[in-house]
Parts: sequence; C-alpha cells; structure tokens
Amino acid sequence: MELFLKIIIPASILLSLALVFGVLIAVLGKKLAVSVDPREEEVQALLSGANCGGCGYPGCAGFAKALVAGTANLSDCSATAQSRKAQIAAVLGIEAGSSVRYVICCCGGNEAKDKYEYMGFGDCRSMELLAGGRKECPRGCLGMGSCTTACGFNAVVAAGEKEGYAIIDRQRCVSCGACARACPKELIKRIPVDAKYYVACSNHERGKEVRAACKKGCLACGACARKCSAGAISIVDNLAVIDYEKCTSCGACAAACPANCILEVK
Amino acid sequence: MNFTQYLLIIVSGIFVNNFVLSQFLGICPFLGVSRKTDTAVGMGLAVIFVMGVASLFTFIVQKYVLVPLHIEYLQTIAFILVIAAFVQIVEMVLKKFSPGLYGALGVYLPLITTNCAVLGVAIVNAGQPSYTVLAAFINGVFSGVGFMLAIVLLAGVRERLESADVPKAFKGFPITLAAASIISMAFVAFAGMV
Repeated sequence: MELFLKIIIPASILLSLALVFGVLIAVLGKKLAVSVDPREEEVQALLSGANCGGCGYPGCAGFAKALVAGTANLSDCSATAQSRKAQIAAVLGIEAGSSVRYVICCCGGNEAKDKYEYMGFGDCRSMELLAGGRKECPRGCLGMGSCTTACGFNAVVAAGEKEGYAIIDRQRCVSCGACARACPKELIKRIPVDAKYYVACSNHERGKEVRAACKKGCLACGACARKCSAGAISIVDNLAVIDYEKCTSCGACAAACPANCILEVK
Repeated sequence: MNFTQYLLIIVSGIFVNNFVLSQFLGICPFLGVSRKTDTAVGMGLAVIFVMGVASLFTFIVQKYVLVPLHIEYLQTIAFILVIAAFVQIVEMVLKKFSPGLYGALGVYLPLITTNCAVLGVAIVNAGQPSYTVLAAFINGVFSGVGFMLAIVLLAGVRERLESADVPKAFKGFPITLAAASIISMAFVAFAGMV
C-alpha cells in the first residue's frame, strides 16, 4: 500500500499539473485564435508551391499573404503557370499581369579593362572583396560565375573565354532570381517577359570615365533616346533606361547605340 | 541577496559559465542557426526571452510545488512540461497581439522548446538553495545573453569562412566545429573568475 501511494501520489500531482496547462492552452487557443483570411489558403493552394523565394517573400505562404493584403503583384511569381494565375486573379479580383524575366545588365567582359590579374580562390563574391573586383568598371561583370553556380536550372551560361561575361538562357530560366541574389555587383535585373531589348550596362559614371574603363559601356550619349520613335528611352543618372510600358520592340535603339550595349534578349 | 551577488550571477551567466562555450549545452541551435548574423541575433533574442521566463516559472514550480511535496526527483519531467506549455502560450499570445515580433521570433520559438540550455538553466537554478525568484530570473536572462554572445560570435566567423580558402576536407561543418572549439578555448580564460 505504501509503495502504491509512493507512485500514485507523485503521478497524480504531475497529471494535475499537466491538466492545468492543458486546459490553459485549450482555453487560450480558443480565445487567442487568429482569424485567417480564407482566401489566403485558397491562393496558396493555387500557387506553384515551389517555395523558391523568387518573389522576395519567404515561400509561397508569405507570398499568398502579401497577395491577399495587396502588397505584392502576381507578376512577381514566375513559377506559377499563367492559367493558375488567372484563377488566383479571379479569387482576389485583380489582374493577372505578365511575368518577368532576368537579364544580366553588363556586356563588357573582355572588352572591359582589368585593374589586376586575379589569381586567387573562389568566385565573384570573393573577388569582390579584393578592391571591388578585377574590372576598372565598378559595375562590371567579373565573369567568375557566381550566378552560374547559384542557378539550379543550368540557365546561366558560364562566362566564355571569348566574351568574358555571363548570359542567361531564356529557354531554361524559370525566373527564380537566385542568380540576382548571388551577383555581388547586382547586375541581374528583371524585365517584362515580353520585352525584347535591354540595356546591357549598369555603369552610372560619366561617358568619359566609362569609355576609359570599357569599350561596351553606356556613354549616356542619348543616341538611343533620339532614335526611339515611341519615346520610351530616357537617360537617368548617366545610363539609358527603357520604359517597357512604351517600348514597341522595334530595335532602333540597339542599331543606334555606338557602344553596342543595347542587346536583344537571347 | 545583495547587488554584488546579482552582479556575480550576471558575469557568471554571460562569461564564466557560458552555456554554450563552457558547459556545452544548447549546441544544436548554436551550430544550426549560426549561418547568418541576423538569424543568429533572432535566435539569440528568442533564447534570452524563453530562458528568462522559463527559469521564472520553473523556479516557482520547484519552490512551491515540488519541494513542499518532496517530489524533487520529478523536476526534469515537470520542467519540460512547464517550458513546453509556456512556449506554446507565448507563441499564441505573440501571434495575436504582436504579429511583428511573432514574425521575428516565431520560427525560433518552437525550436527551443525542449532545448537543453533552457532545461539546463532551470535545473541549475533549482540546485541553488540561496536563490530567490529574482535571482533565478536574472540568471535565466543573462545565461540567454551568454548564448546570444556565443552564437553571434560564431555567426560572424562563419560569414567570413564563406569566402575563405578552406581545404576541401574541412569545408562546411568540420571547419565550423573547429571555429567553435577555438572560440570556446578563448572562454577558458574566464574560468575561476567567479
């Protein structure tokens, strides 16, 4: 009997302690329940579920939440099929929008002058630590392939010996943005998926300095802006910028550019 | 207890008896969440919070439930019960009243529910007959600060290791363990101060 009590009493005390907490959690769980917008779950179910993070939100759940709150655009997601997007748009009563694609805004490569010869270890990020990389141009592609390594779909074609800069293969790219996050120079930018031309230079210095650093840099001469019949190009901060709302993809700018740094999407 | 004793508890919690680097408790989040400095800070804050309040609750349970009923030998189970329930409640309260803080700490809270550092501080407190409730709380909070110091130090080292030329055989986890052991060797210098 004594042994029995020795076991039963502590056990029942512990059990009552557990019961107190259990009831407390059950009651608080009901009282503090956060009402979740049912549309959030619906949207999340329609999203691709790739959780790639390309939209800039923590996974598809975070993106669904931002969509319902109206702080995100459907076009930020490129992993979801267009038909699914239409369904999501119907749920939320918004427009589906078009998707984006990534391009590398530098075509300097071997035409851009080197400051020094890099013989160290690693990729673009480790080279960046040494005086901002080997290129004279502060925004030049270093050609060490950080983006190539970051891409899970083999869509970023490694910097070839001939060109010395990386190119994104649009057939393979799923627009997840992993390369854009890996580039220490932040050269990889988003353009609408139907855009045909882009400015392959990111140097904001004045024409003279750009010329000294790179043969293929934007000189901000404005030839493209003058040739553009749609008035879609403006020179902002010493760099040509294409307004894709107005761009008609005629290609006059690319033909006019003396530095050949307006390229067609490959 | 006077001010000097509280000060000793603080110094002891952060440096001398640092939970990670001297007592080797809580190694799993220490190695798991130390890849980036900002997540390490988030984890550290969550640990400070949970350790502080968990040591408060467990000390009360120890002093007013377990000791009077002479069932101190059940402290491990009782403490785990208290800590797990408490973290659950905190998570619910945060989710309801402070979504911002929940976003910052939320992911880490369930991770440290049954962390051995949290349980460790509760058991250390229970083993000190001279401790008051306030002393236990202070010990919990500053042991958490010690954890945060350790994890932020390691995160800083690991960020630098990302771009370092590490021999292939040591890449990744082995070099992290080596770095952690070197940091912990530095903390040996504090031994015997309190």
